[in-house]
Order: sequence, then structure tokens, then C-alpha cells
Amino acid sequence: MEKILLKLCVNGETCQVAVPPNKLLLDVLREDLGLTGSKRGCDDSSCGCCAVLIDGTPMLSCVALAASYAGAEITTVEGLAPPGELHPVQEGFAVSGGAQCGYCTPGFLIATKALLDRNPQPTLEEIREALSSNLCRCTGYMQIYESVRLALERWQQVPRTAAASPTAAQGSQ
Amino acid sequence: MAEFSIIGKPLPMTDARAKVTGLGKYADDLVVPGMLFGKILHSPYPHAHIRRIDTTRAEALPGVKAVATGRDAPHPYGILPIGHDERVFQTDKVRYIGDNVAAVAATSLEVAEQALALIDVEYEPLPAVFDPLAAMQVENPEHWIHSNKPRNIEKEYHHVFGDVEQGFAEAEIIHAERFYAGEVTHAAMEPHATLAVWEPDGRLTVYSSTQVPYYLQRTLSNVCEMPMSHIRVVKPLVGGGFGGKSEVIPLEVAAAVLAKKARRPVKITYTREEVFYAHRGRPISYMDLKVGITREGRITAVEARMVQDGGAYCGYGPVTVLYSGNLLHAIYDIPAARYDGYRVLTNKPACGAMRGHGTVNMRFAFECLLDVLAEKAGLDPVELRRRNLLRAPCITANQLRVTSYGLPECIERVVERSGWTAKRGKLPFGRGIGMACSHYVSGAANPIIRSNMPHTTVHIKVDRDAGITVYTGASEIGQGSDTIQVQIVAEVLGVRPERIRLVAADTELTPVDLGSYSSRVTFMAGNACLEAARNLRAQLFDAVAKKLDCGPEVLEARDERIFPRHDRERALSFEEAVAAALEAQGALVAKGTYAPPEEARGGTFKGAGVGPSPAYSYSAQTAEVSVDPETGQLTVHRIVVAHDCGRALNPLTVEGQVEGSVYMGFGQAVQEEMIWRNGRLMNPSLLEYRIPTTLETPLIESIIVESHDPEGPFGAKEAGEGSLAATLPAIASAVYDAVGVRIHSLPITPEKILAALQEKRRQAASQTRNSGTHPGGGS
Amino acid sequence: MQAFEYAEPKTLKEALGLLSSRWGETEILAGGTDLLSLMKNYVATPRRVVNLKSIAELRGVAETSEGLRIGALTTVQELLEDRRLARFPALTAAAQGITSPQIRNMGTIGGDLCQRPRCWYFRNGFGLLARDAQGRALVPEGDNRYHAILGNDGPAYFVSASSFGPPLIALGARVRIAGPNGTREMPLSEFFVIPKNEGEREIALHPNEILTDVFLPAAASELRNATYEVRQREFLDWPLATASVALELREGTVRRASIVLGHVAPIPWQAGAAAALLDGKALTEDLADQAGEQAVAAAKPLSKNRYKVQLARVAVKRALLAAAQGGA
Repeated sequence: MEKILLKLCVNGETCQVAVPPNKLLLDVLREDLGLTGSKRGCDDSSCGCCAVLIDGTPMLSCVALAASYAGAEITTVEGLAPPGELHPVQEGFAVSGGAQCGYCTPGFLIATKALLDRNPQPTLEEIREALSSNLCRCTGYMQIYESVRLALERWQQVPRTAAASPTAAQGSQ
Repeated sequence: MAEFSIIGKPLPMTDARAKVTGLGKYADDLVVPGMLFGKILHSPYPHAHIRRIDTTRAEALPGVKAVATGRDAPHPYGILPIGHDERVFQTDKVRYIGDNVAAVAATSLEVAEQALALIDVEYEPLPAVFDPLAAMQVENPEHWIHSNKPRNIEKEYHHVFGDVEQGFAEAEIIHAERFYAGEVTHAAMEPHATLAVWEPDGRLTVYSSTQVPYYLQRTLSNVCEMPMSHIRVVKPLVGGGFGGKSEVIPLEVAAAVLAKKARRPVKITYTREEVFYAHRGRPISYMDLKVGITREGRITAVEARMVQDGGAYCGYGPVTVLYSGNLLHAIYDIPAARYDGYRVLTNKPACGAMRGHGTVNMRFAFECLLDVLAEKAGLDPVELRRRNLLRAPCITANQLRVTSYGLPECIERVVERSGWTAKRGKLPFGRGIGMACSHYVSGAANPIIRSNMPHTTVHIKVDRDAGITVYTGASEIGQGSDTIQVQIVAEVLGVRPERIRLVAADTELTPVDLGSYSSRVTFMAGNACLEAARNLRAQLFDAVAKKLDCGPEVLEARDERIFPRHDRERALSFEEAVAAALEAQGALVAKGTYAPPEEARGGTFKGAGVGPSPAYSYSAQTAEVSVDPETGQLTVHRIVVAHDCGRALNPLTVEGQVEGSVYMGFGQAVQEEMIWRNGRLMNPSLLEYRIPTTLETPLIESIIVESHDPEGPFGAKEAGEGSLAATLPAIASAVYDAVGVRIHSLPITPEKILAALQEKRRQAASQTRNSGTHPGGGS
Repeated sequence: MQAFEYAEPKTLKEALGLLSSRWGETEILAGGTDLLSLMKNYVATPRRVVNLKSIAELRGVAETSEGLRIGALTTVQELLEDRRLARFPALTAAAQGITSPQIRNMGTIGGDLCQRPRCWYFRNGFGLLARDAQGRALVPEGDNRYHAILGNDGPAYFVSASSFGPPLIALGARVRIAGPNGTREMPLSEFFVIPKNEGEREIALHPNEILTDVFLPAAASELRNATYEVRQREFLDWPLATASVALELREGTVRRASIVLGHVAPIPWQAGAAAALLDGKALTEDLADQAGEQAVAAAKPLSKNRYKVQLARVAVKRALLAAAQGGA
């Protein structure tokens, strides 16, 4: 199978990969770019473990051909904050029990970030709706809601620009 | 000053940072140079002789590095010593759709998949049986699933405790009913994955998504014919287990066999469909239950019959069916009980241990029946429970020892919080509230492989920089056990948790722990940590006592200092204390072990080994629902749960465990079911096997009840399973309160509610015709 | 997933040139949420995948003299955010019912209309008509709890999975299809067909054609419309039964009613007699109930799906009442 040369902008960094047409975006992230934070959970678009931001919109990288997203700007869980730091959303989940086994966590973080980017004052019902793409088998979701609330609190304490943009998260460049 | 400085604090999990950054590694995230990709060939037939397997064409495919069949791994295995009926690859016959026949290791997944299609297998189909009641009737030995299991009965148990006949004779109200529970599965978000690395010195390192590294190591030693010391099992982060990773799963053995054959690293990751077929979940259960009570509501006798659809292999089956019977007890005062339990083989994937192992379906039946009996006796369902409480400490009719018993407080707390009294029977038609109770073991008192060795061992090492390393075999699978162990050691040594590094679940480095199942880790590894930390602290105290010229018994360790209790200013810092101890005695190491006391290990009757535990957790719950009487749609709005965990070592993780249990119970109650047709799973995907999302899951309010168990670490008991079982009958009870129909078949679907409502209307109509009275006088 | 050749044409003409005239050889990729699942399970094994994403003319909503033109590549989320569609709650409710939010970000209106059935026999590899190796139909004897109660005389028993089909048909939508010999248009109601033979599809599209536009007639000021869905699970699920209704309410009486049931038949099911029942009458709860009963009068439930008859009946009633009470 002939490979396609693909340019992607992942977590603020431009990269080139040669991929066969049938390779999923998820597999390119995990195998070619070593970004294993995004997980494969269901194979059929139902669990949200593979969610990434594509041009700012949360999408499922396990039902996306990498070839379809040439030139797209992609943010994975690894790109939410500079290395060694935590995005407020990550802090919220770490502190309030939002991550038990942690396997669904990257997807929830992406969905939460997308929600708070759009709606900085979500109600509980809006949180439930926004996170309904993502399955968690551990928490019963209560501590996830608590994590989102804490994330919100912490986010309001940091300057918006530093936390909001994935490219800013990569550093001063 | 507070009694504890670390215990009881809602500390975030120690691995939280690894999880929220995406940097923590799960088995499928691991890659090593030269790694091959493995795929397994599964049987398309539910029951068939294998006449011939020819792998020549697959072996010839470029990129294929090894093809393995049953000839490469002839030794049978199984999690129970009495159930070694599995082989990683079948040679003579396959017993379910999805049974394992061969496997390929290749340079890419695509090549491995192509190679599977090139393996020629000749099958000769046999009659297959899919229903346990039918399976028990199969007379022809040729058609038995295992030739040594007549009429496909894997195991049966018949227990009688107390005088059952007398008990029913004394009963003034007796009710009997049949209950059904469909099959459900763990559906952990992480699909199973195993990376087996063949080392240059002929050893094997296996990274696997397992709850039981030690049993995996034992099994691989047997199957691969290698000493255990040559096999290193490492458990990376595990993305949830719930029992689905608590026995050896075929891909783990397949990866090892392929790695050994190819002399290369091999990784196998299940697709979600393969996860569903690997299964080991909660079996289809047919339950016949009869309970008698006095007019005052005291239970006089219980009679229960359970038939479980075990699937094609033994697995944990006998344990499951024993839990169903033996844990009828230890929650209420039951003077007499008969139990007949059957574990039956069918041509479907093997069932096994799933959260609340063996207790959930029978608890559903029992609590539903109490709901009926309460109504017949004219009692509030809560009052009926109050009248049948145990008085701990006590020994039950089947010789289970109950040392602490927070159930009464659990009941009162949920009654108060939920507004029960103002709601039950008083909400408008279509809305209802129900309640139920459940309990669970804090670890099995008897190990799977009987021995008098400890169930768990913990080592602690401290070196010059006063960093503390804890070596534990216990398997963190998301439940927070690493964090709890760190908290226990930190509390005893009086240090910040950050000072402690926990090395866990690596058979080369850590001593044996039996694994994460039966809610045993906090209780057992926790007690071992407690003992090891106390041993280490004694060594520190000896050294400090000499420095401070006092007796070690007056010393206390807290806030990174060691000081005489009544002279806190004369303190040595923890670092100084460690230096003093190293000077005094050289190495600073300690060990701790735990084995349940003899008195906790239960009776001597056949099957007495399952059910005994050093302590039991308790749970009471209320569920508030609404039912759309026109469509049968059920919405669960709110669940209030109180869980007696002895002591909450970490309230954050306790609540997380309790809420997670309720969530899983909710899923089974209303929407999860594996739907089988002729041995084929109709819904092998998370789209069609409906685990609850944020939108259906009710709001869960959890209340922690602390009964301070005398033998638990700091009084702690289990928190991760005991609250699951009560959720199902609480919802069923609420449905009855809402629309007056009792659904005794799981899951409670719109279809079943509609049918029951129609039947009720039909009966009401015929009653009206017959008696001429007006219906609608309340139900 | 089987290997394939990937094409990303820039124009419709180029795209049409890449499609085979036989089903299965080529597949059209839009949002991908359904197609990629089918390909991963080897239910779809095309040798070429034609991605439409670079064909700009297939995107977006535009006003025309007769109403709205919706490009087939318009995502579900874009439809939900388009204020011009606020007049069509039947459509937006159906869009909201397409779960989950991330699917709505990826999935397109064309993809919804062309998605394959959720029938578990089909997804398990037994073909659209679900027959075993001996050619016996599996559904009537098998587990058919989610299968058709209408239009199920065989050989098709699956239910149409489309969420937009019922409301769009109720609202009188038409579709435009581009093919090698030009374009053709048809009412959306004719786009869905019940296949008679294995190898046929459940839509009128030919394998070398592309669904390009949906035309939604302008809403008369008297238009009332609604969709009601009955589900077992709120999210990540297809409904058990739905009803979409559109009608005109003039001085309190119903005119030009249309009722279309979803997820109960191999095609969106038009309940003509039920709709006729309403004509010229005031829409009371009683009348809505009668219409519901009429809508399922011809239902022939299979062995395990009798309950769906009641669900469909209630869906019709509730959709009508919702439409009457605002619904536009």
C-alpha cells in the first residue's frame, strides 16, 4: 500500500509522517508520534477515550483517517500544558478523583477543555451533556463533575491566555 | 491533636499526575525494539471437533515470525486448582464461538491478520447447547462440553443450615418466586493487552493488564515449562478490571507462547469485540427463592436455588455459585437456610468474577422478595430490615464470623437523607422510591490455592537520604490501592506521603500478593503495610531512644519528626532518626505479612471455603425513579447510598469506589445485557452493550459509615464492591412504588415494564368484570 | 482494516470519476463515523475510499427561492447552530438526538441519510438481509427485539437508522443526486427503499452517485412540526422508535399533516392514513391518540418486538401534541 506524506500540526509542533491511507489518526498519534495519551477503547466511536481537539473541536481520532486531516491543528492530552505543568483541567481531575483507572481521562480532559473554552460557566446539565461522548466505567461520574467544577475554579485564577491556547502551552515561541 | 495526620485525608491518588498528563503507560502503550504483533485465531463454531489444523500457508507469508497452536502449549490451566480445563489453543475441540485455536506473530498487525486467514482449520460441528437449563438435560456423553462433566454440570452444592422445615413451619407469611438476571460484563475501558518480551538470557518478561500478576506468573511457568523465577510479570497502569482481569486471559498466555517461539517480543491487544468474547463476567442466573417470616417480620427460613450459566470453561465458576449461597448470610439474622447451587457449562464464553462476585444476582432476588414480604406483612420495607439485623460480633448459621456491622447506621442514614418516610408510597403515580441493602467480603479468608502462607507480604527499605521505598505485590487497577498503602506507611512512620516511593506488582522486585480481587487489598496489603511500617518504626525508635536517652515506648513519629510523647521539643528529624538507625544497625529494612486469622476461615462443610472473610462491609441505598407508564421508560434520578467501610482511610477514594459500584449496579439494573443467539454475541460493542453515560447515570450521594473493624488496618474494611448489589433491588423496589409492577427479571427494560403494566391492567379489568368492584383502590 | 487506495478529489466531477459502478468496490467518506466502524469490522472492504471533504460546494446551508439548500457535508453540529433551522424543531430535535456531541461534530447530514442499518446481524457479517449459510432468514427466528414492526414482510427486517430521514420527509424535503450522467432530484421519501435482494442497498443512490444536497421547502407561517423519540438509553444510542410530524394549523384545525415514523421499518415509515385522520380537525389529545393508533394499525410485530408498537404509537401522539403546542 502506497504511503501518503502527511503534514500535521500536533500540540503546536509541525510534523511530517508517511502513513498508509488506512491508518487511523489515533494510530498515527500513538505509533508514529509517540503520543500514547490518547487511548483506544471501543473501536466504534462510542467511548471517547481517543478524543482530540481538531482545530479546536473535540473529535474521535479512532474513526478518523489520518489522511483526512492533513494540515489540521491537533491537540492531544499531552499538549494541554507545557511539560511538567498541569492545565487547570488536569489539576481538577487529579485532585478531585476524576481519574480512577485513568484510561478514559485523556478523553474527558479534552472534552472538558472544549466545553470550558466555549462556556466558562457551565451548569451541571451542560457539563453532563458535554461529557456524554465519553464513557467512564470507574467513577459513576460524580467525581468527574466535581473535577470539572474545580478545574473551572482554578482556570478562573490563571490568566486566560496562558491556559487557553495549545500553542501558548508549548512555550514562548 | 487529631488522632491521625495522614489517615482519613482525601489525598489525590499517587499516580494521578501520570494519568492526567497522558504520560502514564498502560500495557498497550508499551513498545520495544523488534516487537512483533500477535493476533489470535478464534473458533467460528460454538461446539466442534477440530479435525485438522494446517499452518503452512500462514508460516510462508512474508513477515510472519511464529505461528503457535496447541502443540506449542499442551498444559492445561485454570484459575482454580479444581478447574484446570483450559488450554491456550484448542487441539481436539472448540467449545464456544471465539474459542482460541492458533495465533500468529508478525512484523505488523496487517500481516498478522492476513496470516490468520491462511490457517486452515477443519471443524466437525457438534450439537451445541446455550441455555443452562437445557444443558443440564443433555444425556449423550458425546455431546457434553467436557467429557468429565456429566450433564454439563461443572459443580453443584447442596447446603442446609439450621432446621429449614421447622423454620417454614413457624413462618406465618411465606413467599416464593423465580428471578432471572441476564448476563453482564465488566467493560473496563482498557481492552486487555499483553507484551511478552523474550530476554537474551532465556527469561521472559511479561507486561500485562492484569489484576493477578502472581497467578499469571504461576500459569505461565506451567504452560511455558519455565521456572517461575525465569518469568517476570510486570503490571503497568491498568485501565480498570472489575474482575475481568482477575484470572489468566488467553491473550496473556498466547503472547508468552509466541514470544518464546519467535524469540522476539510480542504484543497482543484485544479488539473491543475480543474483549467481549473473552468475557468472564456475571453469568445468566435463574433463581428460585422462598422466604418465610413471622407476622412481626422476623425471617424464619430461606430456601434458594441458583442455576448459573457458566459458559464453556470452569474459570471461577464454583466460587461464583458458592458466593451466591454462602453470602445469603452475614447480612440479616437468618436462622435456617437451604441452598442448592448449580454451575452449568454451555457453549458460550466462560463467565467469571465480576464486581460483587456471586452475590449481586442473588441479593437482587432476596431484597426484591423482602419488598414483597414487607407489603404482605403490612410493614415498611425499612422496618422489615430493622427487625432482622444481626447483633455483631456473631457467627452466622453457615459459620461466617461478623466482627463489625454498620448496617443499622447505613439504613438510618439513607432513610434520613433520602426523605424516605415522606416519599415511600406517597409520591404521585409514575414516581417512586425504593430501598435495599447489600454486603461484601473484605478479602477472601481462604486463598485460591490452599496454603498457610501469607496472602500478602510487604517490604520496606530506607536508605541514607531517608527516602522510603515500599515493595508491594498488590495490584493498583484504578481503585487507589497504591495510595492507601502509601498513606498507611506514612501515618505509621509520621512522614509526608511524598517521602514514600511505592514499587508495586513486579514479580521480580515485589513479594507475593494474591491480587486485586474479592476486595482484599486495603484489608490485607494494608495490614501487611501496617505491620511492615511498625517494624521499621520500632527500629527507628530503638535508635532514637538511645540518642534521646529514653525508652522507645514513649516515642511518637509524626510530622517528619520522632519525639517523646510528653516532651515534643526534644525531637529528631526523620532524616536524623534514619541516620541514627543506620549507624546503629546497618541496613534499615522491614517486612510485614498478612493472613486472615484461623477463626475467620469458616466451616468445614464442602464449599465452606468461599464466603469467609476477616470482615464484611455493608451498604444501604434508596433509589428514586420515574416511570413513563405509556412507554415503560425508566429514569433513575437519585441514589442515596451509605457504605460501612470500617474506616475511610481516604474518603475521596472510598466515595469514588462506592459511587462506581452504584454506577455499575445501575447499569446492570436498567440497561446492560449481553444478548446471545446460538452462541453468538449480538452486541459485542460499546455502542450496543449499553454502559451508562453521564446522561442516564443518576446523581449519587454517598455517605460514609465507619464501624471500626477490630482487625482492619486502622479499622478499615472494603469499599469497592459492597455497594453494587443493593442498587438493583432498590431500583426494582422504586419501580413498584412508582407504577405498581414488580419486575423480577434483569435488566428492567421499557419492554418488561410495559408488559407488566399491560398484564396488571388486564388483571384489574378481569377482576372488575368478575367482582363488579371499582378498580384503582391503590396497589 | 483492509488496505485501500485513498482519493481526495477537489471537485464533484473528479469525485464521480473515482466511483465504481458496483457496490462495495468504492466507498464515499464524509464524517467517517459509520464507514470506519464498518471497515474496521470488515463489513465494508472497499478498494478505494473517496473522501469528499475538499469539495467545498457540498458544504453549508444556503437560502434559495424555495427554501433552504443544505449541502450533504454539513455537519450535524452546524445544523444545530444554524438559526435558519429554528423554524424546524422536528429537524433540530432529531439532530440533538444524534449522539454524541463528538459524533455531531464529525457526522454529516448526507452521512446520516446514507448510513448503514444498525441491525446486529448485518454488523455481525450476515448481510443486509441477514441470512445464514443455507439462505435462511435469521431475524424472524432470532433475536429481533430492535427490528422492524412495519414494512417487514421480508426479506428485509432491519430498521432504517437515519435520524434526519423522518423529519425531512415530514417537512417535504427533496434531495439532489449527482451521477456520471448529470444530476437527478427526488423527494426524500423516494430515496429510501426496501431492498429485495442481497447486494441491493436501502437507499436509491447508485454506487457511482453522490448525494449532494437536501432541499427543505420554506416554512409556511402556519407550519407546526416536531419529533419525538423513545429511547432506552439517553445517549450513545439509536432510538427505539421515533415520530416526526409536520402540519399546518389554520384557525385551530389541522391541514396538510404528515407523519413519519423512524426506527420501526426498513425505511422512514409514512403514516398516511393517520395523517389523513387529522385533516380539518382540531388537534386534541384524543385525536392525537387516535392518530397514534392508526399509525401502527398495520404493524406486524416479530416474535420479540411487540413493545415497539406501543412505543411508536406513543411517539406519534406526543409528537403531534408537541407540534400543536408550539413546535415551530
